[in-house]
Amino acid sequence: MASNKKVLLKVIILGDSSVGKTSLMNQYVNRKFSNQYKATIGADFLTKEVTIDDRTVTMQIWDTAGQERFQSLGVAFYRGADCCVLVFDVTAPNTFKSLDSWRDEFLIQAAPREPDNFPFVLLGNKVDLEPRAISAKRAQQWCQSKNDIPYFETSAKEGLNVEQAFLAIAKNALAQQNQTVDLYNEFPDQIKLTNTQRPSNGSDSCAC
Amino acid sequence: MSEFEIEPGATKDSVLVTSESFDNFEQMSSSLEEIKYGNVKPNDDPNSVLTDDNQVESTSNTAETQSANANVKDEYVENSIDWTNKKKHVFVLSTAGKPIYSRHGNEDKLAWLFGVMLGLFKYSHDSIKSIHAGDTTYLFLSKKPLILVAIWKTKESVNQVTLQLNYVFNQIVSMLTLRRLIKTYDERPNYDLRRLLTGVDRLIDHVLDFSENEAAFTLGAIQCLPLALSDRDAISKAIKDACGKIKNLVFAILLGNNRLITLVQMKKYHLHPADLHLVFNLVQATESLKYSESWTPLCLPRFDNSGFLYAHVSYLSEDCQACLMLLTVERDVFFPLSNAKQKIVEKLRISGCMEHINASLLAMEESALASGFSELRHYLYKCKSTAQFYQPALSPPYTKDKIKLMELYKRAYQKMHCSTRQLKLSFERSFDEVVFSWDTKGFELYAIFEPLIDTQKVIHCVSKLLDWIKKREDKLFHLNAYTF
Repeated sequence: MASNKKVLLKVIILGDSSVGKTSLMNQYVNRKFSNQYKATIGADFLTKEVTIDDRTVTMQIWDTAGQERFQSLGVAFYRGADCCVLVFDVTAPNTFKSLDSWRDEFLIQAAPREPDNFPFVLLGNKVDLEPRAISAKRAQQWCQSKNDIPYFETSAKEGLNVEQAFLAIAKNALAQQNQTVDLYNEFPDQIKLTNTQRPSNGSDSCAC
Repeated sequence: MSEFEIEPGATKDSVLVTSESFDNFEQMSSSLEEIKYGNVKPNDDPNSVLTDDNQVESTSNTAETQSANANVKDEYVENSIDWTNKKKHVFVLSTAGKPIYSRHGNEDKLAWLFGVMLGLFKYSHDSIKSIHAGDTTYLFLSKKPLILVAIWKTKESVNQVTLQLNYVFNQIVSMLTLRRLIKTYDERPNYDLRRLLTGVDRLIDHVLDFSENEAAFTLGAIQCLPLALSDRDAISKAIKDACGKIKNLVFAILLGNNRLITLVQMKKYHLHPADLHLVFNLVQATESLKYSESWTPLCLPRFDNSGFLYAHVSYLSEDCQACLMLLTVERDVFFPLSNAKQKIVEKLRISGCMEHINASLLAMEESALASGFSELRHYLYKCKSTAQFYQPALSPPYTKDKIKLMELYKRAYQKMHCSTRQLKLSFERSFDEVVFSWDTKGFELYAIFEPLIDTQKVIHCVSKLLDWIKKREDKLFHLNAYTF
């Protein structure tokens, strides 16, 4: 089991199908890219270790399926996430329009304690392709309207900004974790003997 | 067969709470907490098989990606063959799929695998129990807010491994309390529980080995250190006298060599063998307890899973390696208990009990052969009403292969307690041995004989054995319960 210094972050990647979620993850974890499209079935899971300020952080990356028919499975995974990465395709306007519903659905299903401060990161992928349909400015505006979500323009194909984006994701999630202090000793957990009779003993007073 | 008015080892005032078998292990808790939070209990059918093409595909897909994963590969390539060759894996994860414990390997590096496990579990709408694929069994046990998973290729049954997983869960609860565990996840579903469990992995490792290798766990019973009745009574009385005036002391437990010496308890409160097993596990797995007096919070889940008891733990003295644990609900009575312990030690020294404890701790128990049972290799005798059992020392061919012996017993126990077809009496001859199992109202007996023995002789021997145990019951069992 890990020492106190080790941290594990659960990172969920969401977005419409074929925006490049799996490609981004493969580029990040395996430094590989393939032009072939293979739809994710259900979800894929990968692990990546990063070091942030002397802390070893393990990222448990949950690459979900973008296709609608797998949605019922995906939502079961959202709970307990430390960070949510939203991905759209800068050449496909529809994928940008869906961002709101992805974000809303995530917040409903994951039900984080502070939805307004939950760490999201937005990635505009496929910047190596033309023609561009969504400008950086438009994406940034959307991010500002959502409590200043960090925005990165990436290319999974060329490995552009991928490392930086995931580092920001890890930092964001870690900052959130550090904010939540361990609040122990708040409930004393003392056994009240008079209340703890076993049903089989059938007695309700303690003769001590 | 011999007829006794009461079976050997039975007594009117049992020190332990007894339960019929482990089947209802997980349904019992003295606390209302579980009911309140509506804990899901696995139902009786462990054989529901769930497979789904999509899911399987997604899993293998992941495995491929994983093997291509350069980072993980670099560090794990040496271990991976070793890791996949393990006969049994046990994992604990949160309902968010975050890793908490892995029996083998580094759970951080296996984080992807925990995702797959949650995937399987969620895909079945939390209802999957087990998957049987060839010689491998995958078992899922939901103990909210955790999920426990076992994967094994050994001959153990689903029930037996479920029992082990319950011990793992209870081991975690005993460090945190169920209330705290639930509250932690209620407030933060993304919590990394390892932060609260530093060092507990060692106890979980130990409880897994312990529950695999000790008959006590299979039988749901406790073995006592053989002591003359007068000695055991004198020890109990010394504890009672020294601690009787201390407010809210609930249990005093003296144990040595993984055997119970005595247990003194507050009136109307009883200890369950499963809780006592956790106490034994803690003592056995914590070498450091030997060198100092310790004070530690400890939750006994079957007694009350919502709160802590506080334990004063110490060994009697350097020349007597029996461990005394005084359990109270007060969090600040270390010094009164420390004084009480000194008084107990003095009394035991003066009365000579200390020497007798030492003599018994050092003495090798007799093998069945040495007790005059020529064709009896080994046996387990459990007195049901007191949840205590006795076994002789190992004798060949099991001295070097205890695992084989435990396999025989586990199989025999499973056969007698199988939920669909319970047996009362079983005689099974194989090339290597005869296994005789007998389940009566008062006791259970599992005996291993030489393979060529005939049935008449077995009956004769069992009858003689029961007489033998009856004659020694006041030495082999804890008969007189003392209370504060």
